[in-house]
Amino acid sequence: MDTPSVRPGPSAPRARKANLYLAAGLVMTGLAVSLGVLGLFWTPYSTTAMSVPDRFAPPSLAHPFGTDNFGRDIFSRVMQGMGTTVCISVLVVLASAAAGVLLGAFTGYFGGLLDEVVMRFTDAVNGFPSILLALVMISLLGNGRQNLILSLSIVFVPSYVRIVRSEYLRLRDADYICRARLMGVNRLRVLFVHILPNILPVLSVSLLIGLNNAILAESGMSYLGIGIQPPEASLGNMLSDAQGYLQAAPWYALAPGLSIVWLVLGFSLFGEGIRRGGV
Amino acid sequence: MIRIENLSVSFGDTAAVKNVTLELRDGEILGLVGESGCGKSVTALTLMGLCAREARMESGRICFDQEVLAEAGKPRDEALYRAYQGARMAMVFQEPMTSLNPTQRVGRQVEEVLKLHTKLNAQSRRQKVLETFEEVGLRETERVYQSFPHQLSGGMRQRVMIAMAVILRPRLLVADEPTTALDVTVQGQIVSLLQEINRRQDNAMLFITHDLDLARRLCHRIAVMKDGCVVEQGETGQIFTAPAQAYTRKLIEAAPSRMRQREIPSSGAAPQTPVVEVKNLSVFYQEGSNSLFSRGRRRAAVQGADFTVYQGESLGLVGESGCGKTSLSKALLGMNRMIEGQIIHHTVRPQMIFQDPYSSLNPAKTVGWLLQEPLRARGALDPGLAMTKGDMEAAAYEMLLRVGLEEQYFHRKPSQLSGGQRQRVSIAQALITQPGFLVADEPVSALDVTIQAQIMELLQKLRQEMKLSCLFISHDIHVVYQMCDRIMVMREGRIIETGRRSEIFRSPKEAYTRQLLCGS
Amino acid sequence: MRYFAKKILTLIMTLFLVSAAAFLAFQVIPGDVVTSILGTEATPEREEQLREQLGLSKPPVIRYFSWAADVLRGDLGVSYRYSKNMTEMMPVAELIGDKLPVTLYLAALSLAFILVFSIPLGVIWAKSRSRLLDAFFGVTTQAAMALPSFFLGILVTYVCGIVLHLFAPGGYVSYQKDFWGFLRYLLFPALSVAIPKIAMTARFLRNALLTELSADYVRTAYGKGCTGRRVMYCHVLRNALMPVLTFLGMIIAEIVAGSIVIEQVFGLPGIGRLLVSSVSTRDFPVVEILILYITFVVIFVYFLVDILYRVVDPRISEK
Repeated sequence: MDTPSVRPGPSAPRARKANLYLAAGLVMTGLAVSLGVLGLFWTPYSTTAMSVPDRFAPPSLAHPFGTDNFGRDIFSRVMQGMGTTVCISVLVVLASAAAGVLLGAFTGYFGGLLDEVVMRFTDAVNGFPSILLALVMISLLGNGRQNLILSLSIVFVPSYVRIVRSEYLRLRDADYICRARLMGVNRLRVLFVHILPNILPVLSVSLLIGLNNAILAESGMSYLGIGIQPPEASLGNMLSDAQGYLQAAPWYALAPGLSIVWLVLGFSLFGEGIRRGGV
Repeated sequence: MIRIENLSVSFGDTAAVKNVTLELRDGEILGLVGESGCGKSVTALTLMGLCAREARMESGRICFDQEVLAEAGKPRDEALYRAYQGARMAMVFQEPMTSLNPTQRVGRQVEEVLKLHTKLNAQSRRQKVLETFEEVGLRETERVYQSFPHQLSGGMRQRVMIAMAVILRPRLLVADEPTTALDVTVQGQIVSLLQEINRRQDNAMLFITHDLDLARRLCHRIAVMKDGCVVEQGETGQIFTAPAQAYTRKLIEAAPSRMRQREIPSSGAAPQTPVVEVKNLSVFYQEGSNSLFSRGRRRAAVQGADFTVYQGESLGLVGESGCGKTSLSKALLGMNRMIEGQIIHHTVRPQMIFQDPYSSLNPAKTVGWLLQEPLRARGALDPGLAMTKGDMEAAAYEMLLRVGLEEQYFHRKPSQLSGGQRQRVSIAQALITQPGFLVADEPVSALDVTIQAQIMELLQKLRQEMKLSCLFISHDIHVVYQMCDRIMVMREGRIIETGRRSEIFRSPKEAYTRQLLCGS
Repeated sequence: MRYFAKKILTLIMTLFLVSAAAFLAFQVIPGDVVTSILGTEATPEREEQLREQLGLSKPPVIRYFSWAADVLRGDLGVSYRYSKNMTEMMPVAELIGDKLPVTLYLAALSLAFILVFSIPLGVIWAKSRSRLLDAFFGVTTQAAMALPSFFLGILVTYVCGIVLHLFAPGGYVSYQKDFWGFLRYLLFPALSVAIPKIAMTARFLRNALLTELSADYVRTAYGKGCTGRRVMYCHVLRNALMPVLTFLGMIIAEIVAGSIVIEQVFGLPGIGRLLVSSVSTRDFPVVEILILYITFVVIFVYFLVDILYRVVDPRISEK
């Protein structure tokens, strides 16, 4: 079979670009995540101590992002908020992906009634705006950090089920899987030793996309007042506070907002790098 | 007269075509033959001005009569090229399905050529398209005109492509493997159509193919390409009777054809012990989606198959695509359970080799891991046969050597191997547990001719060494001839003829078998 | 025809499942509705009376079916939280009625922005040969996609409202009073919803175009002597828009979600804001109806996309 070599493989400039994506993503997320995690244990100023004379101080050396309406240091609060957001998002993604992989693997590979039921369910839920579902879940479970994590996790499961299922469905009849079955390889081993490594590239990209969605959903819900509750800092509830003081202190809104953008952009560049060039 | 002078084309740092000079006269068919990646398609696409943007013309020029179409170092005159493309030179591609726009009616697609190059009105354009459809042997031209590509058969699609190419009677017709994607019987029709057009329109034709037998029958002159160079060029008769180059000889010898049938040792005494017995087997498949709302209908892919594979024998199964041979093999190995009738296995765990060496090895694992996996699986099923890690590794190394690969491949991943090497690993993986019965489903069809010959040789060798019984499936009756003692011919789900190899070849009973024999 | 019947059946089944699940879920959550309406000081007789009035004394399954029957008859129930006056409770239908158009217009305007901007952008991007332009588009769209709509809303408020004085932040004119003024107030929220989606859609279209451009039939078209322009507009664009159609269906669902948040940012009295406040006050009848409504919209959009797809792509309508 002659495949005309009209289209050569990935050429050099493209590979270099992929590395650029990967490097930029790694630097951005590395910085944000380490600041955030540090912020959970230590911040330059207390995140709750109020000081009326210092309110609305513009950015300066002492307060790089300025202070808010209670005179709290915005940089410290952003650090803590970022830590909270990242932790919650990572937990959400891990929980939902684990459930998604298990369900997707079994439904995709075996099909049958379980598949039918799970697919009807995910079809109904999927395509449904995730923040809306989380909202409803929260209204059932009530506010609070655990409930936030739980409801976001549940909300994100179907998207992973769908991706993993379609991958398993695709590979189920691949020649090398047929051969594994012919050899008499145990079914679980086929599922998780033969097939799983082959979907890791797809899975890792969707994990990063999922992480972004989780960050956006968490901060969106905190912004709406149904996620992390003040006085605990979160990027979303800071933005919602800041909105009232746009005229007096525009930097107050800018700091948490740009932090969200920074986080999301970092993860998506990272994902793009993986998708394009592999690690 | 069309001339390619001293053409070199490169992609980035790799040279795809090196100093190629070709000449085509009116009414002449020039065959450009060679294995995949030898640069024959790039040459043709450059001639047509259709090469990808990354391709760079390093040297040479392309002349059409007195006009210089392209010259190295000068930017291509796009407008000039466009005036030639479709009108004075046209191309037919390998894959007619993807070469047609899937969402446009084929009539409109052919008509576009007229729209671009003539001033005919809509009515006469349509008339002309319908006439050309008739000329290329399409019936019900009105219906074809209104069809979308997916509604036509492969042969009809290729006829549409040909109609599109010849509608303006171009001086030059380039055909890039126009029959490779088609069934054997259709192949023959398309080839005679091209021949007829060449005679009628008296145009020059550049015919690109990997199939030497085909080139011999169709072309007046032949140019053999290897690694971007034309190694030999001459009259067809001369090339075949007295090839000057070793490479040309190798190509001719490797090709499985009626002209030179290598003598293969028959597997000795009359086979007696059955390995697999198939009695009145029908295989079904579910048509359409299988959802809560609609149960797909059951369609029979194989009907009433009846045969036995004996100890040590190699049984061939020939038929065109869609005749049910793969369904039969899958059912035989228990991969499809929608069957009626009986399959009796006298061996345990029969194995299978697939056609596509790229998809039959798990890309996430190393060769060593892949070779040991069957042993691990056997050990897990039957603790009596469990082996130690060291033993398994040793067995894997030994098997690797047996299929002709060096030890260094043990730690490689399939993506680092060539097609032939992958097929060797595939064979090693199937045979490492020493199964008594092997199904080989088109194991060489995806490979180049010279590699094909090597893999067939390897299979023969292992079959004798391991006393293996084998069902060998292929669409190519010549390949089957070389590999098998007995041959079954399958058509539309039924086995229509079974016999010893010599009987099938000397005196086929069925007309269809005769068609298969001389079709290709 | 069978196809339509099947689709409609699925639609009804999904609506039934979603509403039942939501209804029953709200029954198991702790907290008594009656106490939350009347407060803890009410007399037991009054509590009993209200319980009877709301039909809360019956078992949940029966209540679901009587609720569903009411909804089918057009009676959407009453809000637990809002009241018309001292004695009458607020019907949900009335509560939603004048908020619905706000959200619908917002969504429509956003969709219009997306369509108008993303298609030319995607085409220009796919056609761009310059590395610089490609990188520029790549980075801009990535950045735009990373902007959460509420932050974008705040940015727009600050830049267009406070700095440039293009509109009064927090202001709003009812559509009944001044339709054009109303649309003007929707302009900026719609932009905030649309910008990230424009980036996404342009990116998606560009990738689809590049995939199509590398297809074999493009080579055939060039082989006929087509110009690059003709190949793009007569062959490739239409085929590349097909996957975009499905993508747009998803985007519309996202617009609904985006408008929930954006209504909060710009203080628009739409159903999104109502939903958020009803969720935090657990005004169950309102939440239930809104869920049902949004489910219907989302599924219906997918349904439409599916039908459109069948119209445009001959390969599917055949089967």
